[in-house]
Amino acid sequence: MKKASKTKPPVRRTWYKLDLSAIVYPTLQRRDFSSVYRLSVILKEPVKPDILQKAVDMALPRFPTYKSAIRKGLFWRYLEPNDRPGPFVQRDIKNPCMPMPFKENNRYLLRIYYYGCRISLEAHHSLGDGTGGMYVLQTITAQYLRLSGASISCGGFVLDIDEKPDPEELEDAYMRYSNARVRPPRPSEKTYRVRGTKEPFYTLNIINGILSAAEVKKAAKQYRVTVTEYLNAVLLYALLQKQESENPWKYLPVRIAMPVNLRRFFPSKTLRNFITMIYPSVDPRLGDYTFEEIVLHVHNYMQYYVDEKFLRGEITTNAATQRNFFIRVVPLFLKDFVVRLFYTRVQDKNSSAGLTNMGVLQAPADMIPYLERFDICMGQPFSRRTNCAVISFQDTLTIGFASSIREADVERYFFRKLVQDGIHVMIESNREMPPLS
Amino acid sequence: MSYCVHCGVELDSSLKKCPLCNTPVLDPHNIPWFEAASPYPAKKGKVEPVRKKDAAIFVSVLLLTISITCGILNWLVFSRAPWSLLVIGFCLVLWVISFPLIYCRKFSPYPAVLLDGIAVSFYLYLISRLTGSNIWLFYLGIPVTALFTFLLEVFMLFTLKVSRSFFSVILYIFTFISLSCIGIELLCRNFLGDVLRITWSAIVLTVCVVFIIAIVTILLLPRVREEARRRLHF
Repeated sequence: MKKASKTKPPVRRTWYKLDLSAIVYPTLQRRDFSSVYRLSVILKEPVKPDILQKAVDMALPRFPTYKSAIRKGLFWRYLEPNDRPGPFVQRDIKNPCMPMPFKENNRYLLRIYYYGCRISLEAHHSLGDGTGGMYVLQTITAQYLRLSGASISCGGFVLDIDEKPDPEELEDAYMRYSNARVRPPRPSEKTYRVRGTKEPFYTLNIINGILSAAEVKKAAKQYRVTVTEYLNAVLLYALLQKQESENPWKYLPVRIAMPVNLRRFFPSKTLRNFITMIYPSVDPRLGDYTFEEIVLHVHNYMQYYVDEKFLRGEITTNAATQRNFFIRVVPLFLKDFVVRLFYTRVQDKNSSAGLTNMGVLQAPADMIPYLERFDICMGQPFSRRTNCAVISFQDTLTIGFASSIREADVERYFFRKLVQDGIHVMIESNREMPPLS
Repeated sequence: MSYCVHCGVELDSSLKKCPLCNTPVLDPHNIPWFEAASPYPAKKGKVEPVRKKDAAIFVSVLLLTISITCGILNWLVFSRAPWSLLVIGFCLVLWVISFPLIYCRKFSPYPAVLLDGIAVSFYLYLISRLTGSNIWLFYLGIPVTALFTFLLEVFMLFTLKVSRSFFSVILYIFTFISLSCIGIELLCRNFLGDVLRITWSAIVLTVCVVFIIAIVTILLLPRVREEARRRLHF
């Protein structure tokens, strides 16, 4: 009689290389910092946690790169399928995007929270970018609504949980498109950095502005620019005002790090990271800028740089490091050391704030009546600064600021400018305000 | 519905003050925030602490096993000399150094370094017992260990309490190098019975002093410091 183990087919464990962007995020992991972002959907009815848990259990296997754990190899980290129980839904907390140690939470790199009518998904950036996370969140939400008795069809960000994942969803799309014949150099310059009082560990200050998308579009149209360009200009304007209020002995350029979704230019169904950074900036050393001049400057910058050719060059420059034989054979701990040093000394100082715009979200027509709005939080900034994230759904545009400093000057200048431009702003926050002196 | 009188933004009914400018919401006709629930929960979350206990147990068991097996080998097989004391002492030094690093990060670094110094001195004592001579131990081994322990304590005190900027740490390192070289030379001469004077360590001292003066100048002059940071940033 043959042994049972011989009759069973050998179990093949699949694993996934980290994509080009994802390589950096685990390196920056600290005791008090993880690259975690949060996407939330606000429903019209309070969330039932037991049904949500069922929905998560049913939907998550559809996303193998999200149902995974990160492991260390000798030269690179990689993702391995995670068959441990979980992730379990939890009641929401006041301080979202808290650090995500790789060995905790049954090694899952995502968390799902509920609070009132809100379902929130927090994911480590090494799994994927906001677009990938939105597919996971909307698919879970659709499954939750189905289990609650609604009939929701697939389409847009809602994937069919019964079909097998398309190999293209799991690909590292950077490698497919990093084929420019030249690697443009990446200029870096020391930029203005927001100074503020660091909040204690386990504090993330959030200020959410809820606006009418139509009003923002109207304001942007006044300046003949897109909503992204307009909001970029407002943030640059706020940062310039903040720098001026500090009366510095030396002015520095103000620059925003803004991720661009590459799927718009390079067709790919990938659910992993597929973004690159651009840096709209204004240099106050050249003279005083009016808001109209900043808007025009940002508009021209975007027209020039947000272009398929430029972005291809950018991806090729990024990919060159991973393709280099001599870099590949260096042990992981040395790579970690060098990357962390480079990020802390150069990359982090290259921008004054972060801004991301997820754009106008689509959802299946039969799901829309159940949804109030979407929220986004870019996560804890690596250094003392503020990050801004924008998302819009139907006529609601949400601007979420996340910072680990006490002062809210940039946020104040930002929202006051929007109010001055005739936009109605509704503010929500988790901040604990200091007593009046 | 309340608006901030300074910012002009509408505030969520749960907010008592404007989160942008800290202006309180004062509406004598309507005080809705007594009932309104915040859109954010009140409870703060915390990540489970990383369990370093396993690593600490592994290292402790590994070092203990090496010590016991060497002791048995020494006792039963190669019993001509008590050589296993060297291995056991080395394991003990490794354990004393690694334990606070792996397991007990909250343990203050000052007693940790002091314990490291005591462990190294004990190891040197074991060597002196095996070699049968202890003059070098009292005149060279223990004084050099004490000197390094003291300088390390001072280095840590300055790094943790005074300033840990890039230039300050370089300043401490150069001072540490120059003082330790002078100390070693003087202790060696004392051990050998020579006249107490500095020769080779004077060269090290001269080089270090040049660097120390340059760094102090950079630290004292903000303009030079900014220029140096700009040119040396990496």
